[in-house]
Amino acid sequence: MIERDLLKHQWLKQYRAPGFYKNLVVNILLSITGLYFAFILVGLGLLFPEIVKEVAPELAASDVLNGLIIYTGLGVLIFRYFMQSLNTVDQQPYQVLPIKRRTLVNYVLLMPLLNPFNYISLLFFIPVSITIVSKTYGAWGACQFVFMIIFMIWFNVLFATWLKRKYESTLWGTLFVMLIAGGIFLLEYFKVFSIFDISKISLHFLLSNNFGLALILILPLIAFMLNKQYFNENFYTEKFNRKVLSKHSHTGSNAFFERFGKVGEIIILTIKLVWRNKRTKSSLTISILFLLYGFLGYTGMYDDSKGFMFFVAMIVTGNFMLMFSQWLISWNGSHFDSLMTKSIDAREYISAQYFLMLFLNVIGFIITSPYFFFGREIVFLQIAAFLFNSGVILPLCMIFATLNTKRLELNEGSAMNYQGTTYKNFIFVMIIMILPSLIIAVANKLGIAHTVIWIYATMGLIGIMFTKQLIDLCTQMFLKRKYALCEGFRKKEA
Amino acid sequence: MIQANNLKKVYGGNAVLNIQSLTISDGESFGLVGNNGAGKTTFFRLMLDLIEATDGEVLIDGEKVARRDEWKKLVASYLDESFLIDFLTPEEFFSFSGKTYGMSDGDISLFLDTMQDFFNGEIIGTGKLIRDLSKGNQKKVGIASALLPNPKILILDEPFTALDPSSQIRLKRMLNELQATNQTSMLISSHDLNHVTEVCKRTVVLEKGFVVRDIQTDSETLKELESYFAV
Repeated sequence: MIERDLLKHQWLKQYRAPGFYKNLVVNILLSITGLYFAFILVGLGLLFPEIVKEVAPELAASDVLNGLIIYTGLGVLIFRYFMQSLNTVDQQPYQVLPIKRRTLVNYVLLMPLLNPFNYISLLFFIPVSITIVSKTYGAWGACQFVFMIIFMIWFNVLFATWLKRKYESTLWGTLFVMLIAGGIFLLEYFKVFSIFDISKISLHFLLSNNFGLALILILPLIAFMLNKQYFNENFYTEKFNRKVLSKHSHTGSNAFFERFGKVGEIIILTIKLVWRNKRTKSSLTISILFLLYGFLGYTGMYDDSKGFMFFVAMIVTGNFMLMFSQWLISWNGSHFDSLMTKSIDAREYISAQYFLMLFLNVIGFIITSPYFFFGREIVFLQIAAFLFNSGVILPLCMIFATLNTKRLELNEGSAMNYQGTTYKNFIFVMIIMILPSLIIAVANKLGIAHTVIWIYATMGLIGIMFTKQLIDLCTQMFLKRKYALCEGFRKKEA
Repeated sequence: MIQANNLKKVYGGNAVLNIQSLTISDGESFGLVGNNGAGKTTFFRLMLDLIEATDGEVLIDGEKVARRDEWKKLVASYLDESFLIDFLTPEEFFSFSGKTYGMSDGDISLFLDTMQDFFNGEIIGTGKLIRDLSKGNQKKVGIASALLPNPKILILDEPFTALDPSSQIRLKRMLNELQATNQTSMLISSHDLNHVTEVCKRTVVLEKGFVVRDIQTDSETLKELESYFAV
């Protein structure tokens, strides 16, 4: 059984990766986060009837559930399109062995279906099938329902991989998908065209008929065939790793930074780094999505929780900076020796990183200024958060960056990729992101939240005024840590 | 002038480099040979301030190297792929490297013209990123980027491996010319004794971190080296 060997190799690859045990802490922290979500999902499933009664008392719980299924599917599909990483065997060593091509293709395609993470939504749907579906459609109906969900998961996994292989997740693709999603939402909202109703009717139909299950099974089969066909057309690896041809390197936009001499050159280099590496690029996409977080965070419900509001303001205005500041210095890991031996002063190098982050922060602040329409309080919060991010968080990130000696592999994987992440990152994020908001939350109880926010803003302003000194300080730190960084970056993780 | 004084590097209790005193004068071509683990790359890394010496120091023109930036203007180097910036095209990489040494676009393109034969049409204008080039072509890009700023001190680690025969010959010719016209100090390590004796006027043999031979190249050098390494 060659399939079994392939599975075994995959397993070995995971557990023999040099980073695996070192990353145990990270893995544990991730599992705790996972458990937390699992808990929430089960809870949601059990309480779903109550929630419906609360939110939409005029509707039957089973109708709401049926109506939401297509939306859930679409939502998860979009999420997968952005987040799911493609499963690849490092094909070349296998391609030269006498293994049937079909075996390899099937393996690549079906392997992700064995990943338990894909079935995490069942934690919601199984309780729901008991609390709601079984009441309307009986035990057999509930069984059918669960299997339908499983088939839909299969469809989602396979269809997302197909979309991703075929269209790749580019920035434009992202915007396109966001527009479509927005369009569907608006149509539903203005009652022009309701997917909710379609979903309700078709689910009801499928659940009341015994062949419903078979009908749904057609979906994953179609997705599987699409993938098969794609592989038949593009089996050779050279077609997978389409080389990036950058014949027209856009130099025009660089003119702005070129004025700043060597520091400007390093900034341009870093912009190219973000643009030309998979991982940084997909983070850029995600941070664009994060800009919308304000619509969730600022609207109504949390008005009196100042701590949370400030947290949202920090994330919204600073999201570009916060997203990339976790990778400062270590994103140069694969060519660190190059930067250290060229005629670049340590201070120039640090300044470049610092100013780029500052620049990103300013951009984030400008882009998110439409939130000002949400009221004066938001204006105040966003300006304070912007100052605090630029003057306090940024130097902290920079100093933290000198402690992170993990080499970052930028060219592989996309979102949900924790390579190069250590427990230090988690602790650091806790400190810089959560602690300030927590303090405000406490101050809010005492009625002095605004005073604390004023203090933050002032600290930020002072930090900005002393940028030069802070860069000096960061350079000192950097020089102290230089050899540790060099050594850390030389170690490749498999 | 490069001086190494009492230079020592210890990893986990093992001294991998232990040089009492070594001076490389201006314009000298200095070859470094030794089996794997002899400490060649460690020596170069210490010189480039990429690792911290356990003891002792490296001076370039009388100035300490460690944690300083001044020496960087004088030195250009290529040790391995981490000296490349792999998401750039070769043109962009040369332009970036050149600019850090204060060169203008004109200087850079003049230099690239002289490299045409060496590049063999496979590097400039192909639109490929460095990470998509073959190992040999990556090496060429690295070596060229070290030659580009016309440095006072040039450090190359095994420049001949992975190059095709014609390119090896061209590289040797370029290095010899550079030395005749520019008085560049060259530090070159190699596993190939032939190459070293052809390019370098002085050859130092390292073994387990110690300097065991220090010879001025003459007609007998190759034989002497061969007999030293014979098994």
